[in-house]
This record gives sequence, structure tokens and C-alpha cells, in this order.
Amino acid sequence: MYLLKGGRDNSMNISNQIKSWIGTITVPLLLLTVWQFIASQGYILAMILPSPATVFSTFITNITQNDLLLHVGASLKRVILGFLIGASSGFGFGLFMGLSRTAEKIFAPTFHVIRQVPVIGWIPLIVMWFAIAEVPQIIIISLAAFYPMTLNTFAGVRNVRKEYLELASVNGYKGIKLIRKIIVPSALPSIITGATLSLGMSWGIMMAAEFFIDTSYGIGTRIQAGRSSFNMALVLVGIFTIGLIGYGLTVIIETLGKVVNQGRDVNKEI
Amino acid sequence: MSKNITNRIQWKDRMLGLIVPVLVLIVWQGLVNLKLYSDLILVPPFKVVSTLVYLAGTGELTTHILVSLRRVMTGFLFGATSGFVLGLFMGLSESTNRTLGPFIKALKQVPEFAWMPMIILVFGMDELAKNVFIAIGAFYPMVYNTYQGVSGVPHKYQELARVFDFKNIRFLSKVILPGALPSILTGLRLSLGLSWMFVVGAELFGTESGIGYMMYSGREMFQIDVVMAGLVVIGAIGFIMNALLKMIENKVLVWNVSVEGGQG
Repeated sequence: MYLLKGGRDNSMNISNQIKSWIGTITVPLLLLTVWQFIASQGYILAMILPSPATVFSTFITNITQNDLLLHVGASLKRVILGFLIGASSGFGFGLFMGLSRTAEKIFAPTFHVIRQVPVIGWIPLIVMWFAIAEVPQIIIISLAAFYPMTLNTFAGVRNVRKEYLELASVNGYKGIKLIRKIIVPSALPSIITGATLSLGMSWGIMMAAEFFIDTSYGIGTRIQAGRSSFNMALVLVGIFTIGLIGYGLTVIIETLGKVVNQGRDVNKEI
Repeated sequence: MSKNITNRIQWKDRMLGLIVPVLVLIVWQGLVNLKLYSDLILVPPFKVVSTLVYLAGTGELTTHILVSLRRVMTGFLFGATSGFVLGLFMGLSESTNRTLGPFIKALKQVPEFAWMPMIILVFGMDELAKNVFIAIGAFYPMVYNTYQGVSGVPHKYQELARVFDFKNIRFLSKVILPGALPSILTGLRLSLGLSWMFVVGAELFGTESGIGYMMYSGREMFQIDVVMAGLVVIGAIGFIMNALLKMIENKVLVWNVSVEGGQG
């Protein structure tokens, strides 16, 4: 599927590429123009709709003079820690349930029932148990990372091709060696999908965690501050920053996934 | 005879699934009996059930549930409908996809919760703000899955439609929509699930009713039994919603598979 798409893109000639590029920037450019026009006419209060120029200058001053980067750093630390905890335990749990049908029968029903509770719903309980600090935030973020990783690792392990397992048993692969050499490499594409989804979920839930659990530093906290001081420019700067970093994280993990996965398509051809 | 055996095996599997919940309940009750934690932090499992029954008896629970469900349905309806329409257009026309696709993808990079402060600034704290927030959550999975479904309708169907001279509405209703249906249904299910998650989030923010509010006020007043009862309720409703849509999906997919099988 991916190859098919890539092939078509490569065969596109330059004028078509320019056309598609123009199509891509039309909507944002149009919106920006309309936005600037409406803001400059003063139909709507600047409190609700600051001009794009104001937002941009707020962005610059926040980076150079204020501590926007400190807030970003605090959020990133939380997300990465929560992601690492949640995704690694999800990987272990998914692998365990994937390897043993008995383990699946014992744990899967409870897992699927618990999964139905929206992650946000746990916030009041977690806060009551762990008080307001860094710990409940990281627990919530890990929980969000845990589910997709478990599901995808499980599916990946279960879908390992029978031929590989037979070949492995002929060669006397067992235990840790079987898992390391055969099962995990075969399940890798699915595991990478799980990690990508997990990181996205962690980043999204981090926002909610910072809104509902008081902290002094964090990009969500910064946006909230903008809201309570009726500073829409600051809110928009926060949203823009979050989108940018979220995109950066996705690109990083997708690139990592591609690197790890390199050469696997060749295997599939055989 | 063999049916009897399969039944017995299934029954055994179900019993295995009960091991974890029963263990959790035993450990939970044991911790309560040891009196290690105050009852502000840990209440016995039975207390959660009795609170649930009490809240249901006073009618309070039903009111909260109905308010939340109304919010979910309103937001879901707006979000899923606009997602469906946009996904349909993007799937049908390559130039629309080229123009709007990257823009929507860029917006998707912003987590839904990040929009909340802006929504509150623009719309205030009332119902409208919550509906807009839920609609944003419902929008993305619907637009993505509709687009995937529509653009993935096999070319041979479209050629066949051209042979039969199907046009416009008929082309849509006879070829495109049935072909894209499985994907659209998946979108609906994901979309409703997210709406349910976001209503709980939206209600943790300045409101006077709803199941999320019930949990939030339980936290404020240190009634952990109310918080846990709320968890049980949102989990159960999420489960029912998912199961209902999955049932519909399975019915449609069975029909779909049989058509495919007939061709092969």
C-alpha cells in the first residue's frame, strides 16, 4: 500500500507537484488572510480574536523573554517518563498474553472491561490516592500509553507466521531465544504501530492531566494561565506549540520505526 | 455431544477470566480489614455497590447519566456528521483531499484537550462549549475513516457502475456508501467512544450536572465511594456503547463478507 503510494508520488511530474503544493497552502493562507482582515477591522474584540501578527509576536516574546521553553520541558519530561513506563509495561503484558493462551484467558477479560473506562475518568481517583503532584500525572499518562501498546503487541505476537515458528522449533529455538530471535522481530511492525499510538495518546492525555491536576510548570498550565487572564494570544501560542511538538514527536517515532524496520519489506516479498 | 464439550470448555474459560476480579476483590477487602488506610482513601468493595444502589434509588444517578448522554449525543451528532460529509468529499475528489487533507492533518496534531481553554474563552462555560468540545473529539475518527472507506472502494465496482450508467446520488448510494460502510461504521464506533471520553473530561470543568461532575464533586468532598461508583458507571456505559456498535458492525460485515465470498 505504502509502496504503491510512494511510486505514484515519484512519477508525478514537477508541475503536478507544484499544483499539489499550491493546493496544500491555499486553505491556511486564505484563513490567515481572513483572520488578519477581521482582526484589523475590529469587528470582534481583540480579547477573543487577536490578529495573527499579535499571536506571532507573543510567540517570540514567550520564547525569548518568558519561560515557555521551561514549560515545554516540564511537559516533555512527564510525557516521556509516562510513555516509557506505560509502553514498556504494555509491551511486557501484551507479550505475556500473546505467548500464553492461559494467561490470555485469565487476564484479557479484566483488561477489556477496565479499558472501557475513559482514561480521564481515572483522574479524580488517582488524585485522591496520590495527591496533587507529579506522580498522578505520570500515572495517568502511563495508563494512556499502556492500552494501545498492550493491544498491538498482543496482536503482533499472535500473528507471527506459523512457518517461522515451525522453522524455529526445527532449529531447536526455545524460551528467551525463541522470543528474541523469532517472535519479537516478527511482531515488530505491530509493536511499532503500538508505540506510535501510545506516544500520541500520552501527548494528548498530558494536556488533560495538566488541566485537571494542578502544577506550576507545563504547557497545559501555561494555556490555562492564558485563559484565566483572558489572553487569547497566549492560548493560541500554547496550542500552536503543542501541535508543533506533537508533530515532532510523531515524526521522530515514525522515523525510528522505519529505521528499526528497515529491510523487512524484502522479507515479505519472499 | 461435541456441542456439550465446547460448552464446557467455554464455561471453563469464563471461570479463568473471573480469577483476576475475584483476587482483586479479596486483596481489596483484606486491605480494608487491615485498616492500613483511612476510609477517605479506601472503602470496602461492598460500600461502592451500596453507594451505587443508593444513588440510583434517589434518582440522582439517572439524572446525571441522562445529562451526560444528551451532551454526548449532541456533540457526537455534529462532529460525526461533519466528519462524514468532509470525509466523503475528500474521498470522492482528489483536489478536495489535496486542499483540505494536509490542513486537517495539521489540526489533528493538536490534542483535543488543548482546544478546551480556547473554546471556553470563545463560547463561555455553558452547554455550547461542551458540545463543541465533544464534536471536535468525534470529528477526527469519522473524517479519517470515511475518507479511507470512500477512497478505498475497489476500482472494479466503480467501473461496473459506469457500465450500468449509475450517476450522482445513485452512484453514491449504490456503490460508494455500501463499499465504504465497514470503514464508516468503524469510524462511528471510535467516534462515539471518544465522545464518551471527552464528555467525562468536559464535565470535570465548571458544570453542575453529569456523570463527570458527580465524580468531581465526590473528589472535592472526599467521598471516594462516589468516585468509584462513577468509574463503574462510565465504564459500563462505555462498554454498552461499544458493544452495541460492534453488534451492528458485525451484522453489516457478515453481509459484506458473504457478498465478497459469492464473487470469489
